[in-house]
Amino acid sequence: MDAGDLARRAAPLAIATAGVAALLHSVRARPEPLPPDASVPKIEAGPTTKTIRGVSTRRPTATGRVRSGLSDAFTTPFSFIQVRVTFTGRELTRVETVEMTGTGARTQAINARAEPRLRAGSADIDVVTGATYSSQSYRKALQSAIDKARHG
Amino acid sequence: MADAVITGGLHRVETVMGIPVGIDVRDDGIDPAALDRAFAHLHAADEAFSPYRAASDVRRLDAGTLAPPDARPEVRVVLARCERLRRATGGWFDVRATGRLDPSGFVKGWAVDGAVAVLRAAGARNLCVHAGGDVRVLGDRAPGRPWRIGVQHPRERGRVAAVLHAPPDGLAVATSGAYERGAHIVDPRTGRPPSGVLSVTVAGPELGTADAYATAAFAMGSDAPAWTATLGPYAALTILAPGRVLSTPGMDALRAA
Repeated sequence: MDAGDLARRAAPLAIATAGVAALLHSVRARPEPLPPDASVPKIEAGPTTKTIRGVSTRRPTATGRVRSGLSDAFTTPFSFIQVRVTFTGRELTRVETVEMTGTGARTQAINARAEPRLRAGSADIDVVTGATYSSQSYRKALQSAIDKARHG
Repeated sequence: MADAVITGGLHRVETVMGIPVGIDVRDDGIDPAALDRAFAHLHAADEAFSPYRAASDVRRLDAGTLAPPDARPEVRVVLARCERLRRATGGWFDVRATGRLDPSGFVKGWAVDGAVAVLRAAGARNLCVHAGGDVRVLGDRAPGRPWRIGVQHPRERGRVAAVLHAPPDGLAVATSGAYERGAHIVDPRTGRPPSGVLSVTVAGPELGTADAYATAAFAMGSDAPAWTATLGPYAALTILAPGRVLSTPGMDALRAA
């Protein structure tokens, strides 16, 4: 099974970017580091956070030992990305994109926040940014209430 | 803390390009005619660029009845900038994404940037302009107190999902989302609305560029957050779903502590 073959198998898994194909190639080219059991390796993200960006699975038609492994970290202009692939026997059954993010200037990464902080009213803001609204919807908009208050 | 009623300065809301535009100048002693000139600048941009006015340069260019070299100089400048933004966004911001020439996604912010220049020339140093969800601020809302910009919560009209504190040298903030006008932004590659993202907010030095970046990022759907980390001086906040908000380091610095 060559890298192109692997990429074609990955396509139905709905991860079809060239970057992922390249990563799969790097994984395929280095089969030895795959751990020998079914446990998914823990990702050491250090002080950074990790985000599962995409997960694709399919029911294996093959049977056999389940193995999974992580690719080398793939540094993009914005973050580290690793791809975790799982094989059942010789069949690729799961691909996860794992993004390791942090605040370091070197990685220029994205920070995930668990919850948007919601403010109940307009008392502590001066103006609102949002998707473009029309003059018709303005009167119902938060901005309208702020403008009324400003006008006294 | 609620502010006392603001007594000085100038404040006016007008409809331009079909959207409400509000100008709030906090400096004292600014000639009210400066507001007239700022709004005149916005109306002139509408006349040149509106895709809804049959006589606009943009409509005539699209219809082939106006040759590009004969368009107004500012129209040629704007279309050149839009072309650079199309390349900078890998085609995700495209003034022809719908099949018609429509640079509104850049023009609204660009026109507001111009109106701010008019106000600055009149001596204003502390001001806020909003244009249908786009925001440009300069200076402070009051001495030593930064402008506070709420990011509209995409699911709850009366709430904001984040609050940004603008630095005194100013900030432009634009947001793209489908919650106001429905699925009006399409992925130029599929012609379909994006999925996996509720809104993208971009903040930086210029509103036209922020607007184009927000539009491009929103069109990318769930790929938006990664791309927004590549935008240099422009920071971004992407709301993927309620409770799932991603912000770039630059945006974290703007978010109120």
